[in-house]
Amino acid sequence: MWAQITEEAPRFFGYWNLMFLGEALVNTLLLSWLGATIGFAFGFLFAICRHPRLFGVLPLRILATTYVELFRRIPFLVKLMCVFFAFQLSGAQVSLFTMALVTVVLSAAAFAAEIARAGLESIPAPQWDAAEAMNFGRWRVLWTIVLPQSWRVVLPPLFGYTVGFIKSTSIASQIGVMELTYAAKILNTRGFSALLCFGTILLLYFLICWPTKHVGERLERRLATRPVRQGMP
Amino acid sequence: MSYSLIYSQVTGHIPYLLAGAWLTLQLAAISFVVGWVIGLFNATILSYGPRGARWFVQGYVTFFINTPLLVQVFFIFFVLPEAGILLSPYAAVAIGMSLNAGAYLTEIQRAGFASLRRAEIDAATAMGFSLPQMVWYVIVPHIAKALYPPLANQFIIQVMTTSIAAIFAVEELTGRAYNVNSLTFRSLEVFSITAVIYIALTLVCSLALALIGRWLFRVQAKVI
Repeated sequence: MWAQITEEAPRFFGYWNLMFLGEALVNTLLLSWLGATIGFAFGFLFAICRHPRLFGVLPLRILATTYVELFRRIPFLVKLMCVFFAFQLSGAQVSLFTMALVTVVLSAAAFAAEIARAGLESIPAPQWDAAEAMNFGRWRVLWTIVLPQSWRVVLPPLFGYTVGFIKSTSIASQIGVMELTYAAKILNTRGFSALLCFGTILLLYFLICWPTKHVGERLERRLATRPVRQGMP
Repeated sequence: MSYSLIYSQVTGHIPYLLAGAWLTLQLAAISFVVGWVIGLFNATILSYGPRGARWFVQGYVTFFINTPLLVQVFFIFFVLPEAGILLSPYAAVAIGMSLNAGAYLTEIQRAGFASLRRAEIDAATAMGFSLPQMVWYVIVPHIAKALYPPLANQFIIQVMTTSIAAIFAVEELTGRAYNVNSLTFRSLEVFSITAVIYIALTLVCSLALALIGRWLFRVQAKVI
């Protein structure tokens, strides 16, 4: 086994294979980071919709809550298949990458909504009352008082979830998106040993996930040491 | 856009899908229990083990948490045969998921070890408990109570991650959904029903775990 691998390694790490893997790596990064960013933006919207002080509209709150509760309970693969076939049957000319991106966005929105809700709820109610007493509109309270304080609570877990989405995008190989896992499968089918193919991408995944997680953990420590200003005593 | 959803062709297959859900639960339970044992063992090493072993365990945890489960199972399923170890798809998925869960459960349980009161450990030492005895009689009961909510949460995550077993042709819920899909070609219907079954399944699990938690430890776990 080892003899075969040492024989294959120079061919495996040849120029074209490396370009191929590089492209796949870029796709994985794009898929996860772009998907997570858009998804987190939607998640914030959901959290704002669910917040009792911001939206009095009950149907909207119920809708947002239902979405968040349900979409967190569907596995990524099943979600991906639903999105895939929904696009296919609607007849829209959409690339596989976009379909996977939509799936990441759908999941990220549901998870981020929960984090954002925790962030919004970390601001004590007296601050809202005080701001309202000073005749601030609710959107102005959100923008100038709540958001600047809540991002400390929100930001660190977002990094953790982003790592989760980097890992989830490996499932997008199932519909044929050209990302790392799919690239490894292709190289494996071309006859390279599975140890080289999957070992290499495991390492690549590790190299992009670990720093992301590390940044999140560092942020968590740094933001936690600073005292968060409490509301009016 | 001329597609109409026809559920009547799929509804007959729902019992078949639900039988797959049973296998999903089985796989989740196996990987959770094995992962829990791995996690307990690792957390013990991280708290009381020698430095070399600690580094090894830390490396295992960091590696498994920062790589996708799917690729880990691919690795087990395709690389081990090259070394002469042939695994059935079910075994490969179960091993991969257990190792993966082991890493997460190590992280969770280490926090439990850290939350132990010094006095409890001192008392156990004073009574001449060996390390395994102390872990089993003092730490595990403490962890089971204090960590019940995150452990239950991890089980729900396990239920959802079993869906990747379908990629290795294990006939659990998603795998059976693939089968029904290739029989009926009602893809969107099949997978939307599967999604609903997953939602129901995890809701039932959450509810059951919350009730068990209340009954066992009087933990006020959130039901949903």
